[in-house]
Amino acid sequence: MRTSRRARKENFHPLFFWLWAITLLVILLVSNSALVSLSISAGAIALVLMKPSNTYWYQSFRWSIRLAALAFTLRMAFGVIIGVPMPGRVLFTIPDITLPDLFVGIRLGGDVTSQRLISAFHEASLLVALILIFAAASALSNPHEFLRVLPRKYYGIGLATVIASSVAPQSARSIQRVRAARRLRGENSTGIASYRKVGIPVLEESLERSIDLAASLESRGYGYFPNPSRYRPHIWRLRETLALAGPIYALIFLLLLPAVSGVLLAGLLLFAVITPGLIS
Amino acid sequence: MITFSNVSLIYPNAERTIVENVSFTVNEGELLLLIGHTGAGKSSLLKLINGLIPHHTGGILTGEINVAGRSTRALKPGELADIVGIVGQNPINGFVSDIVEDEIAFSLESLGVAPEIMRKRVEEVLDLLALAPLRRRNISELSGGEQQRVAIAAALVTNPKVLLLDEPTSALDPSAAEEVLSILHRLVHDLGLTVILAEHRLERVIGFVDRIILIHGDGTVDLGPARQILSKSPIAPPLVELAKKFELGQIPLSIREFRKLAPEISETMVQAAGKNLGDTILAINSVSASYDQDQRSKALSDVSIKVSGGEIVALMGRNGAGKTTLLKCAVGQAPLTKGEVRVKARDPKSFTDKELIRFVGYIPQDAGDLLYGQSIKQECDLADLDNGVESGRTLAIYSDLMKIPSLNSHPRDISEGQRLGLALSIILSAQPALVILDEPTRGLDYEAKKVLITNLKQITSESNRAVLISTHDVELVAEVADRVIFLADGEVIADGDSREVLKASPAFAPQVSKALPNNSWISLSDVERYLGEKN
Repeated sequence: MRTSRRARKENFHPLFFWLWAITLLVILLVSNSALVSLSISAGAIALVLMKPSNTYWYQSFRWSIRLAALAFTLRMAFGVIIGVPMPGRVLFTIPDITLPDLFVGIRLGGDVTSQRLISAFHEASLLVALILIFAAASALSNPHEFLRVLPRKYYGIGLATVIASSVAPQSARSIQRVRAARRLRGENSTGIASYRKVGIPVLEESLERSIDLAASLESRGYGYFPNPSRYRPHIWRLRETLALAGPIYALIFLLLLPAVSGVLLAGLLLFAVITPGLIS
Repeated sequence: MITFSNVSLIYPNAERTIVENVSFTVNEGELLLLIGHTGAGKSSLLKLINGLIPHHTGGILTGEINVAGRSTRALKPGELADIVGIVGQNPINGFVSDIVEDEIAFSLESLGVAPEIMRKRVEEVLDLLALAPLRRRNISELSGGEQQRVAIAAALVTNPKVLLLDEPTSALDPSAAEEVLSILHRLVHDLGLTVILAEHRLERVIGFVDRIILIHGDGTVDLGPARQILSKSPIAPPLVELAKKFELGQIPLSIREFRKLAPEISETMVQAAGKNLGDTILAINSVSASYDQDQRSKALSDVSIKVSGGEIVALMGRNGAGKTTLLKCAVGQAPLTKGEVRVKARDPKSFTDKELIRFVGYIPQDAGDLLYGQSIKQECDLADLDNGVESGRTLAIYSDLMKIPSLNSHPRDISEGQRLGLALSIILSAQPALVILDEPTRGLDYEAKKVLITNLKQITSESNRAVLISTHDVELVAEVADRVIFLADGEVIADGDSREVLKASPAFAPQVSKALPNNSWISLSDVERYLGEKN
């Protein structure tokens, strides 16, 4: 009992990590730099590792890392193979496929220049940072608590968000169970084909669970009464403000001094991103 | 309290109506039991009462349903939240919070109850359901019975006039089920609450109910006093079957009533000869397992069991006692920290995927996990392919087991019993030496259970195959099991002949043995054999 009471005290406000994620997202888009994306990605992973828990939403993070790795690989591969010709030093050449005139300016294969590689890496790292920011936010915040703090006016939005944010983590858990069951049918559960076989029951299950949750919310009067009250309100404390201050200062810094050194910004950001892990 | 006037319900694209032109009245302070075969529409009827049908789930409704003076047609479920509380089949899916206390307060928050009153209400309900020691605990860490109690508390906190429960005891062990039912009984008697519960395991609830609603499945519904309905219902608990077999002329609703009516029977039956047991199929030697990385809490500690060919062994024990973990040892999926497991003298971890199915056929708690085909036909063909047997084999086994539904039906759309049968045939077509079933009777009606019992006996008729079942269902164990193993807190506390083990503990004794304590009978088939010999 003592542990759970302490765990609760340590928990951040349910909206905290989502605000944190939105701030980082703005920084990512404004800076548009591979260095910044790398420092945000590293920070997000470090932060999640600093706050381990046994909850299913936390456990889903390793699936997000796989997703990020897949996105990175695909984006790099496409960036190298497809695109408009780019100048720079030719690193290596892949066989060129001539496309019909309709696709003028686009080429498949051909010379891979240093600039082409850099540009592909740049975009892939933005994508990875984007995935990891949201993965960290959903791994660290409880989707159910999020629903409770959302104004009831936004019943539909709240419900959709909860279903969306809890389907992925819960599915991660179902996938493990269903894959274990697949082995019981004598199948080697690796490879792409097995994902389809696992995917169907898992999707059906998460749909069923979402419907159950929606029915429960509905029959308990969620969103029907204009002035809901709070049993044990979540308080936005100084700690939350401090933890969010880092990313916000980084953003202001970035907006006021666009020419600031990338390394300095990236270093600052890395520190800012992991603050929630340091002060709790 | 609840009035149905000429109510009909049909789902779009469905072949049959769920209820047709049904009218009845439920009085205040009644405890009503809803019975019917799987898929007859028990859940639908409950959802009609709080308006989830048609507002949430859909369906075409005609007629009028009135709950405490409010019509469900005009009002949505949320607007009935202060008078109707509902607990679904899987309460865990409906939990909105992860701390017990917060979960209970949720409905009050939605209804906008003032914080001071809310505190008081939450406190009262915590006491009422004996949840006070668990108030700050994480819901996902609680046992099934405790979760069920949290769900009931969350439904009761608004002081509703009606409480609806969908199979509240199906996932619970006998003692936890008893606890939940006696709480319901007290609520009805002390607070005048109207309770309607749907349940398959009549033996657990029959002593508590006032009246019964029987849904026939063809649209008609009967409502009447428990005795009257049970005397003609095709669904009846073992106690009622027993009374019918002895031609007592009356329907007893409790063990006490039966004993008053029952004749003195001096037993002359010769005990059935013990089975010829084959070789050892499963041997588990001083195994410990833990899901924690630092192994602080153990799921199993120093467990040794043996299962031989021709045997049906039942694994019983409280929710969370380690039953599933023990079963998983046999397929090499348990996190062992110590000890060894041998299936026909081989370590299951060394089996390749294709070998495993020839040694162990395992049906997990949700048999649907094994299925992924789009139709029964496709599922059986895939199984033939997976198991490397000639095509048509699985389907042939399936039709031997039971009357099978249409080959084109989707495995998700068939009844629980049919789905279990399908999973069983898939497993059996690989001809495993050991068949394992985890909680097979959850959601099965008596008829489907009878089919399962026949099938299991069939499987073990030759001494080269064994069955291991984990279950809370005492009546199933009494009918099929040769041996019972009791687990408590990850340790084996009893292992012996099912007759001796079941009769030894009052909580786990089947109805037949409670009703006729002086005989060695534990199941209806024992009694049938006696009556057969007598005539």
